[in-house]
Amino acid sequence: MPEPMIKPELLSHGTIECSDIAATRRFLTEFLGIDVVRPLPEAQYLWKGGPWSVVCVRIEDAEAKEQGPQNHFKLSVATAAEVDSAHAAALAQKDTYGIRTVGPIEEQAGIRSFKLQDLNRHWWEITTASQRYYDEIFAKGEARA
Amino acid sequence: MSTATTVAPHVKPTQLISGTFVTTDIGCTRRMCEQLLGLECVEPEPGTLLVRESGHQPGGALAGQPYWVLEAREVAKVEVPQEMLNHWGVFVSSQAAVDAAFEKVSAHQKDFGIGRVQKPRFRHGSYAFYFVDGDSNWWEIEYRTPELLYTTLREKGDQH
Repeated sequence: MPEPMIKPELLSHGTIECSDIAATRRFLTEFLGIDVVRPLPEAQYLWKGGPWSVVCVRIEDAEAKEQGPQNHFKLSVATAAEVDSAHAAALAQKDTYGIRTVGPIEEQAGIRSFKLQDLNRHWWEITTASQRYYDEIFAKGEARA
Repeated sequence: MSTATTVAPHVKPTQLISGTFVTTDIGCTRRMCEQLLGLECVEPEPGTLLVRESGHQPGGALAGQPYWVLEAREVAKVEVPQEMLNHWGVFVSSQAAVDAAFEKVSAHQKDFGIGRVQKPRFRHGSYAFYFVDGDSNWWEIEYRTPELLYTTLREKGDQH
């Protein structure tokens, strides 16, 4: 393969919008268990487990844009039981954290997961897919190789 | 400085493992990610593209280090077009590298089906530019000085 035109050091970040930084932070830290820091008045940075971040930008005088479930972030948990307990918690805490939708638990190829839509209309997936899972996929290579 | 809540959260994630987006042309997205952005790609099944930074294969410079994955799914139509505030970013090593990347992206705009390419500029101390691909997915090429790297900002804790 030819040399790429750009040589990045890091796939560094994704972004989401929010309309209420404090309520969003409460959901992220208390419910999702994500780490958060706020270096700017209009943005907080989220992370879990590596140098990459999701930048959460506050939208002034408007609500965050509705996203579809095909644009979402995945959080890895250690066991299938943790997926189940997270799902039960999402149903129980919907009103507390402004969770809009809690999808059903699904299992595919040994990966257990469910999706939820948060107060800012973003989708999150709680999944047992881990870095080891992706390691194996990248090691295996192309489906049609 | 840790900014994690002191109360046990309801979900106990070990890693923010992936972000997802859609494309109407997985081949075009793959060529852009590999040939332009220098990212590693694999298609484990038809209609699915996984993307990570290069160097994580065994023997690579980043082997054994944590990474996250972008997952692209091929769709017939993009139902929810994305905007600039929903983008994916990569860090490069210098301001000059941002300028060089801007020249490359601009020169190969048509080759990769790229739409608008914004000029690099300073913002909050970082130097970066954005462009949008043919499926409304926005991308940022960014340089941050060491004091603005995410890991440094985490150590400093809340500033606001």
